[in-house]
This record gives sequence, structure tokens and C-alpha cells, in this order.
Amino acid sequence: MKVPSAGAVYDRGYRPYEGERGGRGASRAALVRLSVRRALGLRRSWRQKVLPWSLLAIASIPAVVNVGVKYLTRDTPAADFDLITFREYVGVSTTLLLFVAITAPDMVCPDRRNRVLPLIFARPLTGNDYVLAKVGALTAILFGFSFLPQVVLFVGQMFVVRGGALDFLTENAEVLWQVPLAVALFSLYLASLALAISAATARRVVGGAALLATVLVSATVATILVRAGGEGFIESGNLWGLLSALDIPLRMSDLVFLGHVDPESLVGGATGAGIGVVLVYAAVVAGSLGYLVYRYRQVQ
Amino acid sequence: MVDDLLLRTDRLSLRYPGGTLALDELTVDVPRGSVGLVGANGAGKTTLLRLALGQLRPTAGAIEVVGRAVAEDPIGVRAHIGFMPEHDCLPPDQTAADVVATLGELAGLPPRAARQRASEVLDLVGLDEARFRPIGGFSTGMRQRTKLAQAIVADPEVVLLDEPTAGLDPIGREEMLALVGRLAGFGISALVATHLLDDVQRVCDRVVMIDGGKLRHTGATQALLHRTGALRVQVSDGAAHLAEVLGADGVAATVIDDATLDVRIDGDEGRVLDLVRDRADDLGLALYALTTRRTSLDELFVDQPQ
Repeated sequence: MKVPSAGAVYDRGYRPYEGERGGRGASRAALVRLSVRRALGLRRSWRQKVLPWSLLAIASIPAVVNVGVKYLTRDTPAADFDLITFREYVGVSTTLLLFVAITAPDMVCPDRRNRVLPLIFARPLTGNDYVLAKVGALTAILFGFSFLPQVVLFVGQMFVVRGGALDFLTENAEVLWQVPLAVALFSLYLASLALAISAATARRVVGGAALLATVLVSATVATILVRAGGEGFIESGNLWGLLSALDIPLRMSDLVFLGHVDPESLVGGATGAGIGVVLVYAAVVAGSLGYLVYRYRQVQ
Repeated sequence: MVDDLLLRTDRLSLRYPGGTLALDELTVDVPRGSVGLVGANGAGKTTLLRLALGQLRPTAGAIEVVGRAVAEDPIGVRAHIGFMPEHDCLPPDQTAADVVATLGELAGLPPRAARQRASEVLDLVGLDEARFRPIGGFSTGMRQRTKLAQAIVADPEVVLLDEPTAGLDPIGREEMLALVGRLAGFGISALVATHLLDDVQRVCDRVVMIDGGKLRHTGATQALLHRTGALRVQVSDGAAHLAEVLGADGVAATVIDDATLDVRIDGDEGRVLDLVRDRADDLGLALYALTTRRTSLDELFVDQPQ
């Protein structure tokens, strides 16, 4: 007697598809869209949504608090102080590191571990398309998560400062290009680095741990090397500070907002600090993207 | 006419960086329809599929798929091809509906259409009730059918199926072969890479046989089976004696055991059948069975020196 297997095949007929059909551009856009959707937990269980949206909320708390304090103290001239600046808020976005350590491996590791890549590259997509889509998706998410709190901060302050919204806007007009630029540089750097590290392994936990280890170890090594030079060395800044992976995009923010590196940072006022930061930033982003392109150049 | 061809290769060669020559000046024209690409492991079947997908660049020669030169647009040609790999390639934590819809979107379908098509093709392959379950809980047969569904979700002109019945139990194999056999009726040509000649016999009307990267044979399936057929003869006893007598008549036979022998069919099959019957009768042997033996591809290669 024939035993039916799980699921049976019925003749329901077949309808050829005669609708709209996009080209390679549509496939690229779909890969970005699907990557963003997965990272944000959209169309997934509520468990997958908790982390990204919680972190967005956490990253926004300082902005909300800042605006709230401004509002409460708006009639107290003596209390007119800035809790946080737009430049410093880029640093707040480093709280997203945990999100990146989980999301970046989740974007690329399962595709390799489950051997889905041959299916993806049987579509009108190349390895470069894959890299651009993944980097683009994670950069966009990080940009959104870093930029939204800045918008809260800006718009909130605009309406609670004593001088009025128009005055605040006029006085802070340069912020309108500085914030998007600094946040974009920060997002691109972190996305490229995180995806490159994640792409080296097929295991998500290894990818995430490797990213956190890279950031923590590099920061520790940089601090030790800077301090080894003595107090004067710290005060004048030290190019060993360039070794700290997470410091680099923040120092790029310094350049965007201040035109020079923050003297109180690890690199501080060292000679050539600005150029050094730019070169290391470019090298890390280019190196990460280059490794990703190499990693996906030929998928078996 | 070129557009009537599923696949055309012209002195197609591919040598891997390690020096292995996977394909060696392969020249073949394959009409549309259900075509079996047969060869032993390492014959170059998967390499040929990857060249058709534009995932590898040939060392020399040219390849066209459904009338499109792969070298001119290696990425664009994939919009017309569906691919079902041999190995497991489905994320276990996602539902079949999500995976097939996702791969439909990546093939260029709008999101809504991709989900609609995913539902239709999963229904078609018998996974209508299971499509919202995670693939991790699927049987091998269900995973194979999901792989087939993702290959046809964008309604391609041709699907490349790499060992579609690998790892399936007899029932799963029957169901998969039934589905593959129906593809031509959907207007989808199929190039079925397999080392199982029986699968080809069941669902393919043409065969391309390669060995060591070279073309061994191409033509209609029935012609191949005629050329390679053998009879399994079961008698009461004295199989060796019968083989000896048949040999004297110019018919090669291999003794399996005292009651069984394989008789080779070269040329007129009817004459060989009559001869076996008559010689068994002459020797007073009871003839219990006379069946077409299913020849494995490995045996076929052994029997047909280049």
C-alpha cells in the first residue's frame, strides 16, 4: 500500500506570470528592502522587533531628556546650559554598537551558513550588488537610528528656547548639514566594519563577538599605548589613539562640527591628528568594502 | 532557429584555477523541452549549469541559454532562468512562503506579485498547507519541492535542476519526477542534471551525456536507451550454459549467478529476444523472466569506451 508523504501533490494547474517584471535594478532594490526588513524585524515575530526598536528608543532618551530639561528651565536664565551638543550626540549613537553586533551578522551569516547564496546569485545579482545592498541597508538603518534622535533634539530645542524657533534655526543653520554628514560618516563606517567582520564567518555569534572584541580590544590597546607616553603625552595627544576603532568616526564628527579633532580625545591635539583620522577612516571603510567584495566575488 | 534552443555550446571549455579541466571543448545544441544532463559525479554537469547561469566564465568557447549569449549579458540572462541546486540551501528558520516570495522579489517580481506567485507555486508543488511552517521542520521531500517552487516562482523560460531527486525516498522521488515531468506543460523547459539514468528515462525526452567534460552522446532518450539496453534473464539453472550458446550466436552475455544472466542488446532488439527464448528452449531451461535491465550510468560509461 502506498503511504502518502507529508503533503500531497495536487493538480491545481499553472498560471504563467504576465505581470510587471523588473530588471537588475529591481533585484538590487529588493535585496536592500529585504535586508532592512529583516534587520528591523518587520514581518517577523515580536521577538525580532524588540531589539531594534528598543535601541532606537534608548538612543532617543538623551534627546528627549535634553529637550524636557530645556523646557522646564526655559524661564530660568541661570539654568541656560546645554546638556548635550549635536556633535556629542553622535557619540550617543555608539550605543547602537550592540544593535550592530547582532544585526550585521544576522544580515550575512545565515546566507552563507544555510548556503542560500547560490540561490541569490542565480538571480540577476552579482557579489558587488550583494555587498552594496547589505552595506547600504545597514548604513541606512544606522543613519535613521542616529539621525532621528538628532531631529528630536533640534526640533525640540527649536520650540523651547527662549529666543524663539526662528532665531534658534538661524543660529544653528550649519547644524542642518553637519548632523546628516557626521551621522552618515558614522553609519557608513560602522556598517562597513561590522559587515566585513561578520562576512568572515558563517556563525552569527562569532561575527558579533568578533566585532565587539575588535572595538574593545582596539580601544584598550590605544589607551594603553597613549598612556605609556606619560601625562604630557596624553595632554598633547598621541597618534596611537588612531588605533581605537570606535574613536575614528567620532573624531570624524569632530572634524565636521569643529574643523579639528577634539583636544580631549585620545588622539587629541597631536600633530597631523586630523589627517590621520581621515586616512584611517578611509582605510577602514575601503578595506572593509574591499574585503566584502573579495569575499563575495565567487560564490560556490 | 537559435531561439528554439534551450542550450547551445560551441567548443565550451572551462579549466579551474587548480588546473582541473571541467569541460573540454563541449559543443552541443539542445532543443527546448525536458532534457537530461547525465554524467557520473565529476563529469562536469554542475560546472555546465554554473556556466549557463553566468556564474563562471568559460576558459574558451561560448554558451547560449534560450537564445541569449551568456557572455554578452551574464547577469541579465538569469532573469530567464530558474535554478534548483543539489545541496540543501533553504533557511530553516523561515517559512516556505517567505523564502519563495523573497526569491521571487530577488528575481524582479514586485513584492505583492511575488507573494501571490509564491502561494501559487507552493500550492502547485503540494505545500499549500505547509507553506507557513518553518522549513526546519520539513522532510527532505518537502524541502526539495520548496526548492523547485523557488526555481519556478518567477515563471522562467528554463529551469536548471541539479540532482532534483537526490536524497528522496521512493515516494518522494515519484512525486518530484511527476512535478518535473509537468514543467514542459507549463511552458518551462528543464535541464535536469543527474547521474540517475532512470530519472531521465522517466521525465526527459532528450539526453545530453557528458563524461570527463566531453560530450559522450546526445539525442532522444529512447534512442539512448535502445543503444544501452540490456536484458536481465532468469532461468531455472544453467545460466552459464545459456551464455555460452548465446555467445556462439554473437550475443554477449554476462553470468550473474547460476540462474541469472545479463544479455546485451546490440542492434535488433527483437532478434535478441527471440534468440534468448529459442536457445533457452533448445537447452531445456525454464525461462522465468526476461526484463529490460535498468543500466546504471557508471556501467554505461564502462561499456562505452570513448
